[in-house]
Amino acid sequence: MMKRGRGSRGRASAGRGNASDRGGIRKRGAPTRVDRDGDLAMGAGAGAIRGQKTRGGSDRHPPSGPRTQSIDRTIGAIQKALSTSTPQANIRQGGRSAGLEQVSVTGWKQSKAASNRDGGVESLVTFLEKKLTSSDSKPGARARISKSRVEGDALIASIRPEFLERMLQLSGFSFAGAPLTIEKHDQSTATMLNHAMPTQNGTTPSTADTKSKMTTILGRRYYQQSKLLDLSKLANDPDLVAMGIFNTSTTETKFFPALMKVWDLNFDNATARREAVESVSLADNQLANIAVVTALSQTFPDLKNLDLSNNNFKDSQALIGWRWKFRKLQFLDLTGNPFSADPTFKDTMLKWYPELRTLNNTQVRTEEEVAAQKKTPIPIQAPHFHDESQIAENFIRAFFTGYDSNRADLLSGFYDNKSTFSLNVNTSAPRALQTEPAAWDPYLKKSRNLLKISHLPPRMSRTYSGVEKIRELWTTLPQTRHPDIATHPEEWLIECYPIPGLPDITRQSSTGVGGFLIMVHGKFEESNAGKVESRSFDRTFILGPGGGMGGIRVINDVLCLRAFGGNEAWQLGPQPVTVPPAAPVAAPAVVPSAPAGYGLPAPGKTDVQVQQEQLVMQLSTNTLMTQQYSEMALSGNGWNLDAALKNFAELKASLLESLSYRSFANKLDRHRGRYLPMLFFQKLPFSPGHGCSSTIFYNLF
Amino acid sequence: MAPPGEDVYAKISTEAATDFVQSFYPALQSNRAVIASFYSTPPSTILFNGNSVADGNAVQDIFVNQMPPAHYEVQSVDCQIINKQYPTATTGRPLDPRKDISILVIVSGFVRYGESRDLPQRGFSETFVLVPNPSSEPKGKRKRDWLVQTQNFRLVV
Repeated sequence: MMKRGRGSRGRASAGRGNASDRGGIRKRGAPTRVDRDGDLAMGAGAGAIRGQKTRGGSDRHPPSGPRTQSIDRTIGAIQKALSTSTPQANIRQGGRSAGLEQVSVTGWKQSKAASNRDGGVESLVTFLEKKLTSSDSKPGARARISKSRVEGDALIASIRPEFLERMLQLSGFSFAGAPLTIEKHDQSTATMLNHAMPTQNGTTPSTADTKSKMTTILGRRYYQQSKLLDLSKLANDPDLVAMGIFNTSTTETKFFPALMKVWDLNFDNATARREAVESVSLADNQLANIAVVTALSQTFPDLKNLDLSNNNFKDSQALIGWRWKFRKLQFLDLTGNPFSADPTFKDTMLKWYPELRTLNNTQVRTEEEVAAQKKTPIPIQAPHFHDESQIAENFIRAFFTGYDSNRADLLSGFYDNKSTFSLNVNTSAPRALQTEPAAWDPYLKKSRNLLKISHLPPRMSRTYSGVEKIRELWTTLPQTRHPDIATHPEEWLIECYPIPGLPDITRQSSTGVGGFLIMVHGKFEESNAGKVESRSFDRTFILGPGGGMGGIRVINDVLCLRAFGGNEAWQLGPQPVTVPPAAPVAAPAVVPSAPAGYGLPAPGKTDVQVQQEQLVMQLSTNTLMTQQYSEMALSGNGWNLDAALKNFAELKASLLESLSYRSFANKLDRHRGRYLPMLFFQKLPFSPGHGCSSTIFYNLF
Repeated sequence: MAPPGEDVYAKISTEAATDFVQSFYPALQSNRAVIASFYSTPPSTILFNGNSVADGNAVQDIFVNQMPPAHYEVQSVDCQIINKQYPTATTGRPLDPRKDISILVIVSGFVRYGESRDLPQRGFSETFVLVPNPSSEPKGKRKRDWLVQTQNFRLVV
C-alpha cells in the first residue's frame, strides 16, 4: 500500500532495505544511547533472513525446550525486576515490602472500568479495599492497599498479612462486569529473579545477555534523526527469532514489556527518554489487540505518530487500553485493520485523541480545529492581581519561603490567636496525564472535606485556630518545597484583590475593616521515603490589618490539596492573529478593568511603554474591545491609533456584511456533534435581532 | 446574652457552606434562570478565569446565553468563618446574631463543558465569601440565607 505524506515510514523502509545505511543509522543512534551493556554487535546472521516476507504463525520455529525456558526466565526477570519506574527501588525491594503480602489481581482489564482514564486502577483499588473491609470491623480497621502497581494484565497489590485470607476469597468476585482472579503473588520468585538482575556484586550472564541482545535490536530499529522506533514485523526479526522469543506464548507475552524496560534503562532521565522518540511503528505484527504491547504507552506517553497498520484490530475494544493514553497523538495509521472499515472508526478515534490530525493518511482535523478545541467557554485571562503597596505580594513571597523552611517563624510573623487554618484533600481531582498520584496518608486524618466529614465534632477538631494549634499541626505535616516564584512564575497562578467587612481586632470599626483575599494555585514537592513527589494545591488567604510583620495578620488560611495537575490550565494560549469579529458595542456585563497603574509612568517602565498603554486605553474606550485585543490591533497597525481604528471599522463592516446568521450557523453546524460542541452552543455574536451585543466571552471566535 | 459557642458557629457555617454548594452548582448546571438569586447586591468582586463580571445578573446572563451545557462535580469543600460580627444592614427584621457572620468557602472539583461524557474533565478551584442575606423578602423564588459577596473561579487542571 502506498503511504503518502509521512516521512517516518519512508525513512524506515529505506533504512531497512540497505545494510550499510542501517549501519549508519546505528552509528548515529545507538552508541550514545544504548551502550549500557557495552555490546552493540548485531546478532549472528542478522542480515541473512531479513527481507524474506515471512509472516504468520506457520513460520514460527517449534518450541526448543530448555533454551526457551531460559529465555522465558530471563525475560521474566527483566520484566519483573524492572516493573516499577525506578530500577534502583527494585534492588532494595526486599526491605521495602517487608511485612506486607502481595497479591496479583487479574481480570479487571476486561471490566467496564478499563476504559477509565487510569485504566480502572483507582476504582479497582477502591473496590478491593471496600470488599476487604468487613461490615463488622471497627472504624479504624479499614483495610488498605498500601501499594499497588500494574504489571501487564495484573495489578500487584500489597496488603497487611491479616487481610490476605479475605483478599484471596475475593477471587471470582465481579468487578464492573468482569470476574476477578486473585492469587498470592509469589514474592520469593520475584525476589529470586531480582537477584538475577545486575547488582553491586556483579551480573548474571543470561539476563545481561538477553538485555544486551535487546539493546542491540533496539539500536538497530531506532532512527535517531527522525526519532522513529520501528517495531514493525517483529516476528520476522532474525535476532528475536534466534532468541526463541516467539516459540511460546509466555515468552511472546513477556518480550515486549521487557523490551520497553530495556529501552527505559538506557536513559538517565525521563525527559531525555520522552524526547528521543516521536514516532513508533508497530505495523505488520498480526496484533488482534494491544494486550501484548500495552507497555508502549508507558514508555512513550508523548508519542506523536503511531503506525499500527496491517494488524488485526477488529474494533475499538481491541485498543481500549489506550483510550486515555497518547494524549499528544497527531498521526495514527490503522489501515489494513478490520476496525478501519467500521462506520464509527473515525468518530471514535477523533474522540479518543483530541490532538489527532491525520488518521489513515487522511487529514481529519486542521490545526485551527485542534486549537479551537482547547479553548474553554470562559477564556483564560492573566491573573487578576490588585495589590496595594505590595502588601499581598510581600506576604506571598515570605509565606511560601517560610512554609518550606521555617514554619514556626512564619506563624509568629503573620498569625495570631484568632488566625484559622484548615486543610482539605480532594482525593479524586483530575490530574496531569501520565502521573501517578502520591498517597494521601500524611494529610487525610486532618482533611476537613465537608463532603466527607459530616459530623460536627470532627469538623470542629479539624479547624485549627491560634498560633499554637496551627504550629502543632504544621509540625506533623510533611516538609514541602515550593518552586521559586521569581524564577518559575509559570508554575504559579496568584490572584488577589481587596475585600471589605473583615473583623477589626481593635474593635473600633463597626462596619469592619478592609483587607485582601488571596488565591494561590501551584505545586510543591514532598519527599516521602526518599521519593520526591509532586502535589498540586489551592490555597486561599484572607489578610487583614493586624500586629504581624508589615502590619498585617492572616485571618483565614485554607489549603486544598490534590494530585499534581500541572500548570497548563492557566497558561495563556496563543492569541488569535486577527482582530476579533465581535467587538462589543454594548457590554453591560463588563467592568472594564485596566490593571492598576496601567498607562501611568512607573519605575522600570519606558516612555514608549507608557505611550503604548495609553493608546491601548484610547482604542479600548473607542471600540469597547478588551485591552488585550486593543493591544493586538495597535501592534498590528504599527501603534498608529487612526490606522487601528480604521482597520477596526473595516473589519466590523465586512464581518457584519458577510457573516449572516446563516453562514455562521453553517459554520457551527459543520462542527456540531463532532469535536467542537462548545462552539455550537455559543451565543452568536451577531445574531439577528440582538444587534451587536456581546459580552466578555465574545472572543471565543 | 452569652455569645454563641464554637459548636454553634461550626454548625451554622459548615451547613451554610454545604447547602450553598449543593444548590449553587446544580443551578449552574440545570437551573440557570435562578443564578442571580445567589448573589448579594452589590457584590465585591466576581471573577471567572480572570474575567471580571459585574454582578449576579451578569453571571446569570452569561450562563443563560453563552455557556454550553456544563456538568459540575464538586469533590471537596471546606469553609471558615471570616468575621463573627459581619456588618449586615438588615431590612425588615433583625438578624439572628448567630448568623451575622461572613464565611469563606473553598471548592475543588471538575467541570465538563458540553453534553458528551467523553469531553475532558477540567479541574477547577473556586473561592467564595458568603454573607447573610439582609433581606427578609424572598429573592427570586426562594429565600436564601446566604449570598455570594465575592467569587473567584479558576480552571486549574
